[in-house]
Amino acid sequence: MENIRVQDITQLDPKTLGILWTDGKKSALDVVMLRRKCPCAACIDEWSHEPRLKPEDVKDTVRPVKIESVGLYALTIHFNDGHRTGIYTFKYLRDLAPLASSGD
Amino acid sequence: MGIMDRITERFTSKGSTKQPVTLDETTVLNALRVVQDPDLHKDIVTLGFVRNVKISAATGGLEGQHEVSLEVNLTTPACPVKEQLKTQCEEALMALPGVSSTKVTMTASTRGALPLNTGSPVAASLGQVKNIIAVASGKGGVGKSTTAVNLAWSLAKSGSKVGLLDADIYGPSIPLMTRLNAGATASGTLVEPPQVDGVKIMSVGMFGQGGKATIMRGPMAAAVIKQFLSQVAWGELDYLVIDYPPGTGDIQLTISQTAPVTGAVIVTTPQEVALIDVRKAISMFETLKVPVLGVVETMSHFICDGCDKKHFIFREGGGARVASEHGVAFLGEIPMDQGLVQASDEGKPYVTSHQKSPVASAFASVAGAVASQVSILHAENKNVLQHFSLEWVH
Repeated sequence: MENIRVQDITQLDPKTLGILWTDGKKSALDVVMLRRKCPCAACIDEWSHEPRLKPEDVKDTVRPVKIESVGLYALTIHFNDGHRTGIYTFKYLRDLAPLASSGD
Repeated sequence: MGIMDRITERFTSKGSTKQPVTLDETTVLNALRVVQDPDLHKDIVTLGFVRNVKISAATGGLEGQHEVSLEVNLTTPACPVKEQLKTQCEEALMALPGVSSTKVTMTASTRGALPLNTGSPVAASLGQVKNIIAVASGKGGVGKSTTAVNLAWSLAKSGSKVGLLDADIYGPSIPLMTRLNAGATASGTLVEPPQVDGVKIMSVGMFGQGGKATIMRGPMAAAVIKQFLSQVAWGELDYLVIDYPPGTGDIQLTISQTAPVTGAVIVTTPQEVALIDVRKAISMFETLKVPVLGVVETMSHFICDGCDKKHFIFREGGGARVASEHGVAFLGEIPMDQGLVQASDEGKPYVTSHQKSPVASAFASVAGAVASQVSILHAENKNVLQHFSLEWVH
């Protein structure tokens, strides 16, 4: 996970984000899961790293509005519940979902 | 494994070398696959460097003998291993049956980033600039401008088209160091930069009166820098070297936000008190997502003219240490030299005034290392989606 970055980003279905990485691997990420795993300081305690956000706080109907790159190392998601402070580093995203090889 | 071992292995693994092989472009290309680019870690055929393969009957009419001529197009004219690659190509070709002579021409087209969006405010000025290299330091007085000048001149000497922007608004030293006495001329809505030895130069020192201080608050300084990046006719350049002011302030931020900076070269002296500020400079570039190309150490040592002993006046090895700490390349060390100081004061870039000196070759090797790092960066970023925005469809 030295310099692996995003090669392409797509919406796979109404609730799945697809990322093709520069090493050819693919991730399919459930957007509700992404909202529940938001790494921002309001959702995960900065000092204790204990989650502050409870899974039931996030409705299953939450969806992104827009996904944007942050520098060369991360992306941010604006959710339709108004939450937009999470910066998802590429490393974090790679760790969140099982990877599939290209061409699957 | 050496090149000859690889050639031998290739032929022996395929069985008998005595068997007559038809000599065609495919045979030639396959033979060249043993030649690796040491920076990009791929062979020169896969990298698409080999062009214009021509096979003709050998002069002198030797039966069944051929001359193979081809071109190897590298990613930068400043490639430090150009001669080594050429020799390896010749050896690989000569090992082919039926080849009696070779003609390998080394050329280069500098790779650059993706073209700028035409709507960009810097498109008119920087649209044809392939790479922008920031020369920065945490601390002042470490030889940043001297490094910037000699880096620019070394790159230009190797055949690249180079520009040098002096972004040190408050202490512009480039005009003195390059004997720049011409002013800028207007060219339409843009300003045409003057040239010294073929290097295009722009500095705040060209305006205003010599000896008088530039007294500006932050927003004014930022506006001047923005003009240098958006209203100067830089034209077609392989490298635009930007001599940053020291520190991590307003101007550094403005440049990095305004121009698509390819990467940064950090200059430092070896002692700990300088390294503290280097770490801050590296951290600034990491925050701004400008890749750090590597660290150059200046004033590394002084060679005594009486005893030829190296004296490590500012301690030893600091530059290499800080580079490895941050996982960036160590680009080289420049020794202390009275002649370098004198040449800078007299406005003679040392790499041209003292071509054969150890300091000049140290600068040339730094320039080669910088060019290599830029090429590696482009190879790594080939498939990277740099800036993206995806609207979710409901």
